[in-house]
Order: sequence, then structure tokens, then C-alpha cells
Amino acid sequence: MATLRDIKRRIKGVKNTQQITKAMKMVAAARLRRAQENIINARPYSRKIAEVLSDLLNIEKNINNPLLTERKVENVAVVVVTSDRGLCGGFNMNVIRFVEDMLRNELSEFSANKKVQLYCVGKKGNDHFTKRPHKVAGSFPGIFSQLKFEFASGLVRELTLKFLSGEIDKVLIVYNEFRSVIQQKTTLEQLLPIKPFNKEEEKVIHAEYIYEPDKVGIIEKLLPKHLNAQFWRILLESYAAELGARMTAMDMATENAKELIRSLQLTYNKERQAAITKEIIEIVSGANALKES
Amino acid sequence: MKELIVEIITPSKTAYKGEVKSITLPGTLGNFQVLFNHAPLLSSLEIGRIKIVEAKGNILEFVTSGGTVEILKNKVLVLADSVESVNEIDVERARQSYSRAKERLGSRKIDIDVLRAEASLQRALNRIKFAGAGL
Repeated sequence: MATLRDIKRRIKGVKNTQQITKAMKMVAAARLRRAQENIINARPYSRKIAEVLSDLLNIEKNINNPLLTERKVENVAVVVVTSDRGLCGGFNMNVIRFVEDMLRNELSEFSANKKVQLYCVGKKGNDHFTKRPHKVAGSFPGIFSQLKFEFASGLVRELTLKFLSGEIDKVLIVYNEFRSVIQQKTTLEQLLPIKPFNKEEEKVIHAEYIYEPDKVGIIEKLLPKHLNAQFWRILLESYAAELGARMTAMDMATENAKELIRSLQLTYNKERQAAITKEIIEIVSGANALKES
Repeated sequence: MKELIVEIITPSKTAYKGEVKSITLPGTLGNFQVLFNHAPLLSSLEIGRIKIVEAKGNILEFVTSGGTVEILKNKVLVLADSVESVNEIDVERARQSYSRAKERLGSRKIDIDVLRAEASLQRALNRIKFAGAGL
């Protein structure tokens, strides 16, 4: 049986924890707003590039760019986007489990022969995969505290070079997509070779453009930019999703703490009442005993 | 309205949006100016300066590190890798990256990325030049 003092101490401890989780939730909420703004700001650029590219590729059908060409896959690179920090619910575990599943199933042939290279963006994924017998080709911990476009373009450059030199034949990305503040979805996307653009909205070709220097030249310049923009978007989304997940997790922790405090307080009150009652009974029965004698 | 609509978009933000009289861009085949009723054009851009004459007559200048421009129906869409307003250029930083790039190009190590160092050098030079400062 816990003594009164023990219970009091526990209540205090839980209250402290609650304060921390509450503060973390607030911080995450504030950062999330900024992260969302960043996503919105980045959207026009990536959308426009994709638009111009798909238009161009529609006109210029027989383009022969290696970045667009599927080839026989022998080596695969998987970019795993996780967070740098924990305390965000199942955020990292979802991605890691997804990748592990993929390595066991779809990519089992490649992973058995060490033909899968992992690129871990974010500390948590790095911590997980470096301890296991996977080939980690690149680790980028601690990038989310100061997310820069240069990082995105740098990694894309490295991947593109390896792709073009034939070192890897396919690049996949696993990350948490930002659906809403309370919803994240683990998503798999193919970065290289670039998948053909969906042509649902068949845009009418308004006019004959003048091309400078020429169509092929522009396409060649745009493709890497498109990759950069895409990867940048993924990083921003993952970061926003992380903050969303943390917010939800911390909110839940705060709620749990509240519940715990409530029940502890109840036990405390009951205990206290019992102690008082016991004391009164002792006094009364003591007095009665004196009277009777 | 006999004005062009110009939008300058970078990965991180929309840098400019407005009605202009003219815009001068650093195209791959040389600088060119766009006025009202320009023919549809798609061009890649190089490191250089973007000059805008706004509808009210204000002149704005940006430096850019390249990108793409689409001109269609009096709408100019500049997709730039980065832009900076000329008054916002950090000359000190540009000078630093200039000397860094120079140093890297000067050193005879094999593993340096010559193309990248050269591009960095060009960007720094471009910034310094249009900020109206010397080396």
C-alpha cells in the first residue's frame, strides 16, 4: 500500500511530465504552421516545372534521355526519410517497418545479394539501419533543424550521377506524406528513372513556342530541376508530418497524464480520508475506554 | 491593359508577382527583353540579372543563378533556382564564396568538382557585379 507521501510525490512527478509534453505540443504546433507555409510556398515551383515538362514531353515524343528510360534493374537505392528526433508516435517506426517489409518481400532478391543501398535522411532511420546488416550508402542525420534546398539538390545530384554511371538502376523514396495535421501516410515513390507524367488533363497546346536553345536542351535542363523540386517537396512534407505526429503524440500524452493525475488524486483523497477516520476512531475508542473504566 | 504579368517563382517562395512594362532576362542564347505581345517562348536562363520595369515605372533588379522562363499570352513565368533582389545581396558573403571557389580551382587536387566550383565562382561574381561593389 502506497503511503500518502508516495502518492503525493507521484502526482508531482506526473504533473511535471505533463508540463513538458504540453510545452512540446505547443512548440510542435508553432513549427508546424511554419512548415505548412513552406510547403505552400514550394508548391507553385514544383507544379509549374512538372507542367512545363509534361507539355514538352507530350510534344517531343521521341526523346532519349537516360533519366526517363527504364532499364534492367540490378542495383536499387532506397532513400529512407525519417526524423531526427523521437517522441512523435509511430512516425519513424512506420517508415522503418515499411522499408524492412519491402526488403524482405519485393526487394528480397536484391537485398540478399547486397544490391540495395540505403540512404538514410534523418537520424532515426540511420540509427536503425546502421545496426543491421544492410548496406547504408549515405547517412544524413540532423538536417531537419535547418532544412535547406541545397541539401535536397546535393543528394539528388549524387543519386543522379550514380544513376547515370550505372551504379544504381532505380531510386525509391519512402517517407511520411503529410495528409493533415493528425494524419500521415507512409508513401513509396520512385525518383529515378522518372516516371512518365500522368496525362489526365490533356492541355491544349496553345501555341508554337520558340525554344531557346532547343526542346531537348530545355528538357535536359528541366529534368534535374524537377527531381530537386520533387525531393525538396518530400523533405518538407516529411518534416511537416513529423511535427503533426509529434503534436498528436504529445497531445495524447498530456491527456493521459491528466487522467493519471485524476485517478491518483482520487486515491490520495480516499487514503487521506481513511487516515483521518482511523485517527478519529482511535481517539473516540480511546476516550470511551477511559470513560468505562 | 497593355501590361505583362510577371511571376518569379523559386523553390522556397514566390519572389515577385506583378504587372510590368518590360522584363529583361539572361537567356542561354544571350540577354533578351520581353515586352507586351511577345511571342510564346520557352527558354532556359543562365546566371545573370533580371531587370523589371514595373507598370508604374519603378525599376527592380534581381540576380539569379539560372532557371527557366515560359512566356505565353502576356504572362511571363520565371522558374528560377534562386533570386535575390540587388539591394539584398550580401556582398561580404559573395566575396567569401568567390575566394573559396578561386582557391578550390587553384588547388590541383584531382577530386575537386571543377564544374561545381566554376558555377559557384560565376554566381559569386554575378552577385558582386550587380551589387555595384568591387572585389
